[in-house]
Amino acid sequence: MDFLIGLYDSLPVAIQIILKIVVIMGPLMVLVAYYTYAERKVIGYMQVRIGPNRVGPKGWGQPIADAVKLMFKEIVLPTHADKTLFLIAPLLSIGPALAAWAVFPFDTGLVLADINAGLLYLLAMTSIGVYGVIIAGWASNSKYAFLGAIRCAAQIVSYEIAMGFALVGVLVVAGSLNLGQIVEGQSGGFWNWYWLPLLPLFVIYFISGVAETNRAPFDVAEGESEIVAGFHVDYSGMAFAVFFLAEYANMILISALTALMFLGGWLSPFQGTFMESWFAWVPGIIWLVAKTFVFMFLFLWFRATFPRYRYDQIMRLGWKIFIPITIVWIVVAGAMQVYDIGPWYQ
Amino acid sequence: MSFEKFLFYLFAAILVGSALMVITRRNPVHSALFLVLAFFNMAAIWLLAEAEFLAIVLVLVYVGAVMVLFLFVIMMLDIDLATVRAGFIKHLPVGIVVAVLMLVEMVLVLGPKHFGLTKYAAPEAAPADYNNTAELGLSLFTQHLYALEIAAVILLVAMIAAISLTLRKRPDSKRQNVTRQHMVKKKDRLKIIKMPAEEKG
Amino acid sequence: MLENYLPILIFIVIGLFVGIAAMGMGFILSPHNPDEEKGSRYECGFEAFESARMKFDVRFYLVAILFILFDLEIAFFFPWAVVLDEIGPVGFWAMMIFLGILVLGFIYEWKKGALEWE
Repeated sequence: MDFLIGLYDSLPVAIQIILKIVVIMGPLMVLVAYYTYAERKVIGYMQVRIGPNRVGPKGWGQPIADAVKLMFKEIVLPTHADKTLFLIAPLLSIGPALAAWAVFPFDTGLVLADINAGLLYLLAMTSIGVYGVIIAGWASNSKYAFLGAIRCAAQIVSYEIAMGFALVGVLVVAGSLNLGQIVEGQSGGFWNWYWLPLLPLFVIYFISGVAETNRAPFDVAEGESEIVAGFHVDYSGMAFAVFFLAEYANMILISALTALMFLGGWLSPFQGTFMESWFAWVPGIIWLVAKTFVFMFLFLWFRATFPRYRYDQIMRLGWKIFIPITIVWIVVAGAMQVYDIGPWYQ
Repeated sequence: MSFEKFLFYLFAAILVGSALMVITRRNPVHSALFLVLAFFNMAAIWLLAEAEFLAIVLVLVYVGAVMVLFLFVIMMLDIDLATVRAGFIKHLPVGIVVAVLMLVEMVLVLGPKHFGLTKYAAPEAAPADYNNTAELGLSLFTQHLYALEIAAVILLVAMIAAISLTLRKRPDSKRQNVTRQHMVKKKDRLKIIKMPAEEKG
Repeated sequence: MLENYLPILIFIVIGLFVGIAAMGMGFILSPHNPDEEKGSRYECGFEAFESARMKFDVRFYLVAILFILFDLEIAFFFPWAVVLDEIGPVGFWAMMIFLGILVLGFIYEWKKGALEWE
């Protein structure tokens, strides 16, 4: 073990960073793969089916089989498509989805890039994700893809405002853009987490996250019944798989960020209670993952439960309900912070 | 050459290259995407100058918002490229003269004579805990309050202008009045009538 | 400060590389038999009619423009929220005036019906 640590310390910085990135990205990729499996299983059981159960024991080999299948499928390049952009679009959607994890803290001090503007960086990365969609829709040169892309882009930008305002609320209370400090600011147990003083923002942030990732019930951009699959209708094989990866990586990112900013990240929920010592042996990252899984499950639960919104309803929800509520709550949170109102500020 | 300097030249080269592509590509969508690339490299260069907040906001606002609008507009307008290009060769000499003049002016005004390292020493590198956003906030919300409120007014004007320029009512479209839908009572919609039971036939 | 950003740069490069590697694998391993029908535009089985480059409702532009304005507003909010404790009530009320002016615009937008989708 000491030998390994010594070896690691002797490596150049760049190699160390690359190793760390692999340590983050490897589990993430496995999680993405098994998230697709979990989705099919969970929705299956919710609809009184069994879900995939053929490949491997209980179907555990399913994601691997899917990956292998997609790898051997032809990547069709439509004749009318702008071929360069057609191939660049999936990269533009996976790049930001993965790069956002660079500033994500997994435990006290356990973060790859500890930057002061972490939250701002995250917001910037999520706002770039829309390019993959727009370019894919345009480059495919097909009506379905184009319509899907335009719908999707307008929807994403609308909900991004609500998300941005919700993040401002978190900032007001935390007073720092550094994600680690945001979590530390919530220490003190379940009732000190930001979900309570920022309850409306917490709910809006997560729902906007669902809309931002184009998941049901906000999935008009790929509404099968109207525009087949939306912006990625012309994609096949691995090119499609990359879009798919990006979508699930984004869902995991939104879940993890909600857990981080509103549910105390890696902090134990029993802090400050008599049960604190019973759970002291649980590493922080376990709490973080557990909280993240709750939101990841919600994504699937939503999909199995709610019927799809109509487009005008989506836009009304975003602009006429979420934005006013977030603006009001920023004022409330700001006033509470400046004038020290309420039980939760010192 | 330090690694930082190498990065600066790398980003600067990509920036200039993509800026050239913006004005030379035939397809306006490609031009717009090269502009996005240019903004990215600009953000990286600002970051090298330790303007953390501005660099990320450049990506957030320009790449994440302004260029999305650009792309929306360009994708819809089927710009006829032949007519746009017709004047290119004819005006080329004038264009080159103007460009060279501007370049000379900029070198004279901004060149090392006035802004060289001998006139202004390079600032110290900021420590790791330097918080650019907080510094900016402190100066913006104490010394520059007046400018801030003017910015709000400008944004308001922009918002009203955008609405009055683009908004049109379409007489043929149907819409939902959500409030009225919610106000509906059972008795408005449903009428229960008494009728004799059907005979089994 | 800059050394904190080096991992991000590398992360972005690796993120793009993952996508390139995945698609590259796809290209190497998969067959390539392009034919006319396969490469044609997808149109639910019909022959494609009209160009796919079409006009769409002006409302989408309006949404994009309003988005820029609100995004800028958010950019102003970030430094404000970070230093709120230091600038105290003066900074708070200054931002409230800023917000008030923009809420005026929002109300105008709402009353004009710019937020309606029909």
